This record gives sequence, structure tokens and C-alpha cells, in this order.
Amino acid sequence: MRKVYIVVVLLGFAAIVGNHLVSPSSGRAVSPEDFAGACAPCGAPCPSKK
Amino acid sequence: MTTATFAAPQAGAAPAIDRLFLGLSLVATAVLVALVLLDGQPASAALILGGFGLGIAFLKAEFSYTASWRRFLTRGEAGGLIGGLIVIAICALAVVPVAALKHDFGGAIAPLGPSLLIGAFTFGIGMQLANGCGSGTLYTVGGGSGRMLIALLFFVVGSVFGSLSLPAFLALGGIDPVLASDYLGPWGGLAATLASIALAAVVIIAVARKRGANYRPSRSYVLGGIAIGLLCVAVFIAGGHPWSVTFGYTVWGAKIAGALGFDFSHAAFWQWPGPKHALSDSVLSDTSSLTDFGMLFGAMAAAAASKPFAATAWPPLKSLLGAAVGGLLMGWGARLGFGCNIGAFVGGVASGSLHGWVWFAAALPGCLIGIRLRPLFGLSRE
Repeated sequence: MRKVYIVVVLLGFAAIVGNHLVSPSSGRAVSPEDFAGACAPCGAPCPSKK
Repeated sequence: MTTATFAAPQAGAAPAIDRLFLGLSLVATAVLVALVLLDGQPASAALILGGFGLGIAFLKAEFSYTASWRRFLTRGEAGGLIGGLIVIAICALAVVPVAALKHDFGGAIAPLGPSLLIGAFTFGIGMQLANGCGSGTLYTVGGGSGRMLIALLFFVVGSVFGSLSLPAFLALGGIDPVLASDYLGPWGGLAATLASIALAAVVIIAVARKRGANYRPSRSYVLGGIAIGLLCVAVFIAGGHPWSVTFGYTVWGAKIAGALGFDFSHAAFWQWPGPKHALSDSVLSDTSSLTDFGMLFGAMAAAAASKPFAATAWPPLKSLLGAAVGGLLMGWGARLGFGCNIGAFVGGVASGSLHGWVWFAAALPGCLIGIRLRPLFGLSRE
């Protein structure tokens, strides 16, 4: 299990850093709730907005 | 906790430090913190470090929503549930008034409807089969459980399917979020929220007493609950919203699927502004992912500092299958139910949002079914 963990940790960490380096980063970290019209932690709209 | 995963060190025995994994976890955390600081984001660094602290606190206190709920349902023991309510009460003290009074902050809110009920119920089944909820999966994976590594993998897959299903379930109808502070103001909302938590504690204790079971939380649950509650407040202050776990999983899954060629441009969920932004931006721009990474590495550091890391054998295939099925159900359920025990229940109730209690009421019967199904996967009902 240790070997699997080493592979997973290294691959996962490389994926995080790689994604960060190739993706835009628009300032402070945000949650979907920060966007207009969000009605849930995932950013889903409110039923009344439909 | 995701029970029986970790063994307590023998009394008097010196802790065996696993230098490799302790070093890996500390270096990985330091690099992530450095990357966000290079972007000029101290709040992001605080979220990673807050998650790191949560990983340590959960692992050391062996704090588990899954086992607590199971003990309550099977034996009537209420100590774990009370410990969970301590977390929520501490968090509510900050979230309800600050979210109502400060423009830059917000609570965890969600609409009430079939999606919430179905999602929470499904999540409840999944958390008993996987033997860990959203936060439990994170810290046990960080703690070296290969079984929970499988659960996390399928949690991520399930949450992507959930993101594709959610718009159809929202179309079934529902009502807008009901927030105590909207009706009673910041302080009245806080009073109502604390009263609802106290009422829940009274009911839970009454059930435990009626069944002749213990209702007092253990010392580690009280101390762990206080530490976790304070860290929840820190994460709220740093991120502007209550701590959430599972949205990060959905983003990771969609990013991986996107890299494998899947096109989400026609998926309604991924066209909503928040998810669309999360999918295109750096994973270190997502508050949920930041605390998740911190929690994983925090639990890893805590585990590696006390014993050889991931040194146990893989569990039987049946148990791994349970982890996979449970992970899938939790992932799908978390998207439909607007989060897990943390994002929906802890965050929702601590925000004074009615959906937190509705989530709890729907997840509990799901847990009952999950407990009945556990023997199919070689797991005890206790």
C-alpha cells in the first residue's frame, strides 16, 4: 500500500502544481457562492430565478 | 472516525516517525502555500493551513460523523452527535452575524426541494458503505487508509455524475433558501440558530437516555469539537464562506475528465458562473480545493508523525467494493444535496439556513439503509 500511496501522492501533487501553472488565476480564491445568482455552495441558481 | 482504520499506539511505546511521508506532506504543503503567496493570496495560504489544522484535529480526535451517526442509530449512543453539535454551535457564533452584517461574507445556503432530499438520503447510504463522509474520507485518505483512497476516487467520479444530474433534479421544483437572519436579523438569527442546535441536543439526549445509552461525548470529542469549530471559524474568515469539502472533488473530477477529452461545454451545471470559473481557473483558486489539500496533507503529517504510514495490508475485495459503491453514492448525493456533512449540515446549520436541518433529517434514514447494507460488503453494522 505504501508504494501505491507514494505514486498517488506524487502524481496528485504534480497534477495540482501543473494545473496551477497552466491555468489562469484570477486573483483571490473564490467559491461558486461568490458569483451573482448563486443560491447554493455549488453555484446553483435559486428556484425563483427560473 | 472511519473506524478501525487507525490503531492507537501502545502505551509507553515511542511513536515511530515515518520520515518519508512526514517530509512529503510538509514539503507539499509548503510548496502549495508558496505558490499562492507568489500570487499574492495570503487568504489562500490561510485556507491551506486551516485545512492542514483540520486534518490534524480530525485525525487526532478520531472525529467521525459516520461512526457517530451509526452508533446513535444502532445503539442510541449520542456522544458523537453532541460533539458534532459543538462544532456547529462554535461555527454559528461567527457565521450567522458576520454573514448578515459584512458584505464580503456569506453563509452556506441552499434551496429546499426534491434535489436536497434525494441527495442527502443517497449520501447517507453512501457514507455508511464507504465508512466515512466527505471530511472523513479526506482525513482517512491522508491518514493512510488504502480503502478510503478507493472511496475518494469513486467519490470524485460520483460527484461529476452528480454535477450532470443536478439541473434535472432542480427542475423538479423547490423553494428559495430560508435563512434565519433574513427574518430575525443577525442577532435574532443567531439566537434562533443556537436554539435549534440546543433543541436538537435535547432530543438526541432524550433518545439516548430512553435507550439507556451514553450521551456524554468523550474528552477527545469535546476537545476535538472545540478545535474543529475554531478552525471552521478560521476557514470562514479566510474564505468568506463556511468550510465546504465536496465541490473541490467535483472540480478535480471535471478537470481530469476534461483532460481526458470530455466536453462539459453543453453541461448546464458547468455553465453556471461559479462552476464555469472553477473549471477554467487554477485549482488553487477554488476555496474548497485549498482546504481539501491542506486537510489531506495535515492528516498525512499527523499520521506519519506517530506511526509507519500506510503500512497495513489492503482490505478484502468486498470491503473495497463497499468503498467504491459508497464513494459513488456520496459523490452523486453530495451534488444533489448541496454538500456533505460539512458543507450542507455543519455549514448550513451554522449559517442559520433551514436546508442544514432538512439535509440532516434526510441523510439519517439514508444512514439506516446504509447500515443494513454494510454486511453485504463485509462491514459490521456496529
